[in-house]
Amino acid sequence: MRIAMIEKILSALKTAGVEMYQITETKTESAELFFIRRSLDMQRKKNVCQAEVVVYREFTEGGKRRMGSAAVQVQDSLSWEQMEEMFRDALYAAGFVKNEYYELYGSQKENVPGSIKASDLEGRTLAEIAHCFTEALYAEDIETDVFLNSAEIFASTKACRIINSRGVDVSYRKSKIEGEFVVQCTAGQDVETYQDFAYEDMDTNALRRKVRETMEMTRARAEAVSAPPAGTYRVILRGACVETILSYYVDRSNSSMVYQKYSSFRTGCDVQGTDVEKDRINLTLKATVPYSMEGIPMRDRELVKDGKLQLIHGGNRFAYYLQIEPTGNYRGYRAPAGTVSLDEMRSEPYLEVLNFSDFQMDSFDGHFGGEIRLAFLYDGEKKIPVTGGSINGNILEAQKSLVFSSEMQVEKNFEGPLAVCLENINVAGNSKK
Amino acid sequence: MKVKPSEYLREIKPVLLRLRDRLLQEYPYASILASDSAAKQYAVSKTVTSVGMTGWMSGRGFVVKVYDGSCYGEYSFNEISEEQIEDIVAKIREELWPISEKLPDCVKKSVYAMLEDEPLVFSDSTDYEIDPQEYGDEAIIRELTAASEAGRSYSDKVLDCRAFVNYQKYSKLFLSKNRDMEQNVLWMAGGFSVMAARGEELKSSYRGFSNLGGAELLEKMKEEVCDVAKVALELLESEPVQPGEYDCVCTPETTGMIVHEAFGHGVEMDMFVKKRAQAEQFVGKQVASNLVTMHDGASAAREVATYFFDDEGVLAQDTVVIDKGILKAGISDAQSAMHLGTAPTGNGRRESYQRKAYTRMTNTFFEGGQDRVEDMIASIDYGFLLEEPSSGMEDPKNWGIQCMVSIAREIRDGKLTGKIYSPVVLTGYVPDLLKSISMVSEEVKLGGGGMCGKGYKEWVKVSDGGPYIKARIRLG
Repeated sequence: MRIAMIEKILSALKTAGVEMYQITETKTESAELFFIRRSLDMQRKKNVCQAEVVVYREFTEGGKRRMGSAAVQVQDSLSWEQMEEMFRDALYAAGFVKNEYYELYGSQKENVPGSIKASDLEGRTLAEIAHCFTEALYAEDIETDVFLNSAEIFASTKACRIINSRGVDVSYRKSKIEGEFVVQCTAGQDVETYQDFAYEDMDTNALRRKVRETMEMTRARAEAVSAPPAGTYRVILRGACVETILSYYVDRSNSSMVYQKYSSFRTGCDVQGTDVEKDRINLTLKATVPYSMEGIPMRDRELVKDGKLQLIHGGNRFAYYLQIEPTGNYRGYRAPAGTVSLDEMRSEPYLEVLNFSDFQMDSFDGHFGGEIRLAFLYDGEKKIPVTGGSINGNILEAQKSLVFSSEMQVEKNFEGPLAVCLENINVAGNSKK
Repeated sequence: MKVKPSEYLREIKPVLLRLRDRLLQEYPYASILASDSAAKQYAVSKTVTSVGMTGWMSGRGFVVKVYDGSCYGEYSFNEISEEQIEDIVAKIREELWPISEKLPDCVKKSVYAMLEDEPLVFSDSTDYEIDPQEYGDEAIIRELTAASEAGRSYSDKVLDCRAFVNYQKYSKLFLSKNRDMEQNVLWMAGGFSVMAARGEELKSSYRGFSNLGGAELLEKMKEEVCDVAKVALELLESEPVQPGEYDCVCTPETTGMIVHEAFGHGVEMDMFVKKRAQAEQFVGKQVASNLVTMHDGASAAREVATYFFDDEGVLAQDTVVIDKGILKAGISDAQSAMHLGTAPTGNGRRESYQRKAYTRMTNTFFEGGQDRVEDMIASIDYGFLLEEPSSGMEDPKNWGIQCMVSIAREIRDGKLTGKIYSPVVLTGYVPDLLKSISMVSEEVKLGGGGMCGKGYKEWVKVSDGGPYIKARIRLG
């Protein structure tokens, strides 16, 4: 009789002399469709089961108490003997990992079990989910000069179980649908826009809306012929860029950055500095899985209120060092609507960027930037589409005068204002006006 | 020494052959890619040391590709035994093909011919000097700890120094009706990231190292950590660049990023199939200065993306993409090549057995020229030496450039002034930049410290590089 992989792991850990461990077993199943224009080019099915086992070792060196760890990946095709050898090797390696001592996260009796909103993807087959979203994807593909060039759809279910030597034994199952599509427009210039998507509900209308908006954006890009003149602009950033801008504050308040002194954020500090001239930031961390990778129950938590930091967040180890409550690592966050509408933002000259090739934020130095794929330039008299050039700014300067829109956006990992306005941002563009 | 084959794959091969034969009873074409991979990463900084296997690059797994007479489907899984063969065949029949049963009316299935399956039996391994597994966790952590301490003690302005290495040792089997191929590969990469603080702003300098081989890389890394720390301190004095177009000299690393991001992605021929790459219209035309000759191929260099055959069983090649400024050819996976009526170039790569194969770059670089670096710098009245590429994004459709570098060293009257600007975004139109290349150094260097994504996913190990080049570039 075959024994379950977890039982085999536990038995091999015991024989290898491992007393402290964490096991994360993940079973993933997916149905995948790949389209070129209106043809299905390939279909795939995936069914895999793996486990990560982290082996811990406590030791003393030079009078200092240490906690070492080493991670190994195992699967059922490994024999019991192979697993045992891997765990022995990992235990040996952990003896050279001289991290300051910390305790593993332990099961807390008073804990409220982690939970997230029930998804209506559950109870449907992966093929059924993939079909529904394929329908939604192509429902807006009805024009001739702007159309879906290609797309990929991944419907998946992940079953996760987390066990550790301090009594944690939690599990959850999660389904999602994600993918990407490219819209091409041949009216005028031949241009395209890449867009990704991810949903945890049967919100096929959200995908339809995204396809429609991307088609409109791509049509506008086909009319854009030149880069904006180089200079300093009042810049309106849209969509995913708002999430990227706010990621600076989420990253900087993470316990790993604080403990390693990469961030000076402290609970109660003014995250935007003291001389804020416009909007103050509000942020809430959003639980997207019921348990963290360490089995910590996840719930929504207030991170920043009116510009003041409410929480240092993160996993067990750095929380232990900082003597704060471990929250688990968050992937999602939300921000409330601002008070200024997009139309009001547009009442003065602006450069409104709808799409970058890749907008990036460096949370270490605060620098953000990217190459402009589509923007609208309004000089006070006329509005023209522009493409090319790049934005190069720093949040440490820009954060004093952020203005968030009253219009909202909802994505898988972010809910918040649709746009943010920043002052005096450098734009590299055409040198000739 | 040669990398040893996977014992597991050798043991399981008879079962895989029976699965192949069973599939060939139902399908005119069936292939199996089997892989056994162990990837491990080590990192040491001031307060954090970590060691562990890299989850998404490690493990044993299989991908079956079947052809039903008109189109292809794939099934990825990671457990197999004699008893499971019928179950796998049933899953392909009952769970793979039904995914496409209810497509919208406007969507049809592509019709493909059967992949070529010329007979081929092959087996080879790459070489290494020191097996990282034998070298041991203790020695690797000890060397990284020494490097991290050396970086931190360079100056009290240094906040931290992270020293890291990672390696992957993999074995692959490709089995089809007529092919029986085996390869065993080991690569190792690593680097230093040194951080220095200027108030809330942290500036960091990075240097990567890589080889097709093993822990002999650690010796190569040893001497350079203090140089990285020196650059991190220099960055504390940096300021933003005045946006504009400048004469620039690019280091081999920066050249590599331009080769890879700005041009390489644009000649991935699955993009030709989708009509997403402008390069398709430029085959046979001038796209770069006649000083430029560009290669891509798993057999074009000995670096981290070197292998003997790709994930579709096509032998590795050295493709000349640009020859003296003329675009000659793209690179392709087998299915894209079949669609386009061209020969596959051995560039069909998967992130792992769990993912689809796409056309991917391997070792991508410009050939060297005849200029000396000092002459290149001396030829510039006002411009920059661009160092430390940090990231880039492709735009095959419109040939827009987005590349970021951490350091632009000012050149005035043919000399480096010592002034540094950072960070810097390179933008512009790819052929404009490539046609503006006016000097090319003799020295060519490749590096494979990073990973390459297709869009924002499908990560594979690549190397890129080339000579120092002089070009006219828009900076911001």
